Amino acid sequence: MSDGFSVNIMQQQHLLEQRELSRDELIALQNKRTGVTVFQISWIMAFVCLIVVNLQLRGDFASWPPPGVEALEKVLPTLATVGLLVSMALTRSGLKSIQREQLSVFKSQWGVAIGLGAAFLAVMAFEWVTLPFSGQYSTVFRVMIAYHAIHTIVIGYIMIRVYRNAANYDAVHNWAVEAAAKLWYFVTIAWVLFYVVIYLI
Amino acid sequence: MATITRPLPGGARVDEHRPRLSEYLRWSVDHKIIGVQYMVTTFMFFIIGGSLAMLFRTELLTPQLDLVQNGQQYNQLFTMHGTIMIFLWVIPFFAGLANYLVPLMLGAKDMAFPWLNAFAFWIIPVAGVFMISGWLAGQAEAGWTSYPPLSTLFSGDGQTMWAISLHLLGISSILGAINFIVTIKNMRPEGMGYFQMPLFVWAILATSIIVVMSTPFLAGALTLMILDRVAGTAFFNPAEGGDVLLWQNVFWFYSHPAVYIMVMPGFGIISEVLSVHSRKPIFGYRAIALSSMAIALVGFTVWAHHMFTALTPELRIPFMITSMIIAVPTGIKIFSWLGTLWGGKLHLRTAMLFGLGFLSMFVIGGINGVMVAAVPFDIMVHDTYFVVSHLHFVLFGGSVFTIYAGIYHWFPKITGRMLDERLGKIHFWITYPAFFFTFFPMNILGMLGMPRRVAVYAPEFQTLNVIVSISAFALGISTFILIYNVFHSLAYGKRAGANPWRALTLEWATTSPPPAHNFIGDPVPFKNPYGYGTEAAFAYVKAIEDHFGAPDEPPLTRELTPKPASSGD
Repeated sequence: MSDGFSVNIMQQQHLLEQRELSRDELIALQNKRTGVTVFQISWIMAFVCLIVVNLQLRGDFASWPPPGVEALEKVLPTLATVGLLVSMALTRSGLKSIQREQLSVFKSQWGVAIGLGAAFLAVMAFEWVTLPFSGQYSTVFRVMIAYHAIHTIVIGYIMIRVYRNAANYDAVHNWAVEAAAKLWYFVTIAWVLFYVVIYLI
Repeated sequence: MATITRPLPGGARVDEHRPRLSEYLRWSVDHKIIGVQYMVTTFMFFIIGGSLAMLFRTELLTPQLDLVQNGQQYNQLFTMHGTIMIFLWVIPFFAGLANYLVPLMLGAKDMAFPWLNAFAFWIIPVAGVFMISGWLAGQAEAGWTSYPPLSTLFSGDGQTMWAISLHLLGISSILGAINFIVTIKNMRPEGMGYFQMPLFVWAILATSIIVVMSTPFLAGALTLMILDRVAGTAFFNPAEGGDVLLWQNVFWFYSHPAVYIMVMPGFGIISEVLSVHSRKPIFGYRAIALSSMAIALVGFTVWAHHMFTALTPELRIPFMITSMIIAVPTGIKIFSWLGTLWGGKLHLRTAMLFGLGFLSMFVIGGINGVMVAAVPFDIMVHDTYFVVSHLHFVLFGGSVFTIYAGIYHWFPKITGRMLDERLGKIHFWITYPAFFFTFFPMNILGMLGMPRRVAVYAPEFQTLNVIVSISAFALGISTFILIYNVFHSLAYGKRAGANPWRALTLEWATTSPPPAHNFIGDPVPFKNPYGYGTEAAFAYVKAIEDHFGAPDEPPLTRELTPKPASSGD
């Protein structure tokens, strides 16, 4: 029988042997991993919902942006998006560094990643504040940006907490780093979806 | 195949332990305590929601206003009735039952995330009380569907509270569903693949998938509604470039799949109850399991059938087709259940009676569901009592009947006591006809043209409305027979023993109620959870009785002649 449980246990036998995790600890770790994955798949739908809202609202107008409304400026947000993507890559590298117990490398990678995240937030806050009111075009933009920013701030705060506690993690006990990293991937991917809808189509 | 005969690896006999009342009143991370907390709390909301129904059925005894002073008050009554019954009764009750049963059925000690489990529960009473207290601020009055502009431009502040409360309930629902998915995926015992899981667990898996994929849409829609009400946005206001249909699209993208959230766990209950009480393997195990997944999938493609009258004609047809297609997996289940009953030794205990009651009434709900899926018919009966009849046939005849079946079936496991069968049968024989005569005349009223959600109606509809109201009162009263039975049986009920129904699923292979962490040692699941009537099944059940002792008075008097174990589905 090759149900998920057995396969997982078999694939991770080396964890039991090399990382000195008990069977219960291994199942707990597996549960947390599955839990975060299901959460990601689930909550991305809230962002898809706002994308649907955006698309349906623009369908009510002859053009988008509506006639007489100036289109959004793209250069800064595009740079911020690139920065966020780099941040995601660095977050992933940092996770690998912790798994290799390279603490100082981790700290420098996550330090830059968090800095890029903060820069992204600052750019989007600037866009949010400076966009003139233009009815639905600006409203749906502001709601989407704010909705994403709330997630960025909360998950960014988790990243900072993990970064500050970095000395407590090692090759075996690094679930907090992994969880924070996966949530940051979520923030990035959710933003890429928004970016495509807001700026490209 | 099923050669395992001992459910437990030896060890000392475990004494039954019923938790103290105070344990149910405080924070607990034990899934069994949480399950009971869910079920009792939601039953209280059921009584509140039912009482509201009694009030507006009293109003509808006459064609003119008498109990309420205006239509606004009437709107508030049915708005809160619908919302409470859906979001504070049916959905969370099933979550509670699943909380109690899923870890037991999987032979696990608890859910994957016990703390999260408790957190998900405690959101519910807080959100429920917050929503009901909307009456202090001008209660929500836009119906449970809360279409704008009534919900955004006209309702009182209670509507904002309604939206916030639903937001919280949605989060609770998502957290619970994540917990179920992880538990089912990772915590099955060795020897139990997906296709050896009890069908109730399959149903909860399918339901949880729907919850995690659709409920975030509700969160998005409610966020916009709250912003429209308090922050000056105009997403749903056409006068400012908004779109009222936007709400309908997004809301129904959640709420149609939510219909299956409300009934799929009931399907799971029925699969357990019919098989156990007819002493026969379930017919078409895989068909039932996979049709749940099919319903979960197709359920996401039908939402716009709630908006036929607002859709352009070319969009109606695809949604009509998908809405009719979804009847197919449901039909597969119905015929599988009939196949299960066929040739079985039926034990007409109360749980079984409600199971059979469900089958008959749900089929009516399914048939008038297919009728409203047909565009020409739907346009004729749109927003009439026909729709009210349909949704109650599926949500009462479906969900609530299965909840009752589940209560009678698992009460012995949860409390260690049998529910009184005589009272149970009285409960059933009042509920069943009262239900039918409450909701079937609504079909006729709908086809005669009586609109839903009105307090004042044409005098020619009065006779049928009086029949409906009197039946509704009987239906309301019948609930108290169950409540009395619960309290009476808790005090005086016969001891249930571990396995009063001689069932094969793992929740029966431990004491009633189960001890902390559910099992002593790792229980060994019977290979086919519905393999009744085989020698191996007899040996398995006997091993449970040898280990835990037989019930005070074995309720079974008839049994299929044991046959050698077969490799049935």
